Amino acid sequence: MTENRVFLQPAYILQQRDYRESSLIVEAFTRDFGRLSLLAKGVRKAKSKSQGLLQPFIPLRLSYLGKAELKTLTDVELAEPFQPLTGLALYCGFYLNELIEAFLHKDDPHPELFADYCQCLADLRQGGPLEAVLRNFELNLIEKSGYGLQLAYDMQHGKPVDPSKKYHLGAELSPVEATEGIYTGKSLLAIQARNFGDPDVLAEAKSLLRHVLDQLLHGKPLNSRKVLNEIIKRL
Amino acid sequence: MRDTGLLGRLIQHLRCLPGVGPKTAQRMAFHLLQKDREGARALAETLLQAIDRIGQCSRCRTLTEKPLCDICADPARDKSAVCIVENPSDVWIIEQATVFRGLYFVLHGRLSPLDGIGPGELGLDQLERQLATNGIKELVLATNSTVEGEATAFFIGELAHKHHVQASRIAHGVPMGGELEFIDSGTLLHAFNGRRTI
Repeated sequence: MTENRVFLQPAYILQQRDYRESSLIVEAFTRDFGRLSLLAKGVRKAKSKSQGLLQPFIPLRLSYLGKAELKTLTDVELAEPFQPLTGLALYCGFYLNELIEAFLHKDDPHPELFADYCQCLADLRQGGPLEAVLRNFELNLIEKSGYGLQLAYDMQHGKPVDPSKKYHLGAELSPVEATEGIYTGKSLLAIQARNFGDPDVLAEAKSLLRHVLDQLLHGKPLNSRKVLNEIIKRL
Repeated sequence: MRDTGLLGRLIQHLRCLPGVGPKTAQRMAFHLLQKDREGARALAETLLQAIDRIGQCSRCRTLTEKPLCDICADPARDKSAVCIVENPSDVWIIEQATVFRGLYFVLHGRLSPLDGIGPGELGLDQLERQLATNGIKELVLATNSTVEGEATAFFIGELAHKHHVQASRIAHGVPMGGELEFIDSGTLLHAFNGRRTI
């Protein structure tokens, strides 16, 4: 029988849960094979060397085999030395992981998004402006998981977005000019260009992307967003 | 006779124990019924009493049959130091292994944003009230050394700072008697980042 073996695949762990007495089931985001579930046998024992590594936000190289949906992890290596995420950036990391789990289908490769994710974690580690880093990743995720967001053109009226006018988002998640619109044309263009320097733009981007993500998730709630808000409220 | 009648039900219910599969459950059931009926009765009675009477300590949330657990009720314990742990079993382990003479606070879990477990689910309102009123001077954060354990420790650390209470995190890194050669790279990296002057 030929087993599908994969060696030293760059990956991050998104989430892990206990399985039986001493094993784990981990959700991994790999560079070339997308998101997948792996069974890590016997790693929760006292002498296990890989339990410390099988954690989110650590750059890893995973080796595994199997053809079924649940594959068997055979080896874990640290890809490179890393700085752990701390503080608020750590909670943002959980949010990224939940977004990836919600948007990407299993076994659907997204190497570009993997690179974006690595970059985003690096920005979070270096203490970049959290909000802007998150918004940028959300835009990348929407774009690269196949939805695409087009904010610079008003399809309904057939003309480009005017910085001085107001807009709301239509059913197709594209801007429609409206006098009582909640987004300014200026902000929409800035968001499209990933230009988050202005606090007003950032605030509008947050509300816009929240609306878009909720629409795309069809009402499925994001747990980490709720917990994150609760945490920020209490700090 | 499979899965039917009282015997089948007993076997089925024994499987709720961790690490007990169908085969072990079967062996347990037959052992109790054939060889140790007295033991089985005692087990059943104790189990019922335990379920009825054991609840959470009103101060530290560990498991106890009294309103206040033995540790919290002990006047010799240092009430100005509180150790935060994830599970009641961690209290036992720390009591056996260390010389910590303060009190505990049991979270019954850890912050886990992806599972929707936030500060409210961990009794942190109660902890905050204690930080505000109980004259606590030091918090020892002994949550597990996982990403979620770290997230929990950071958040409680921030709460402590807000209430001007000193917070410390237990050290992690190279185990006692451990040789560097056999330590995984993640742990070694952590040990290096957490090095201290001597």
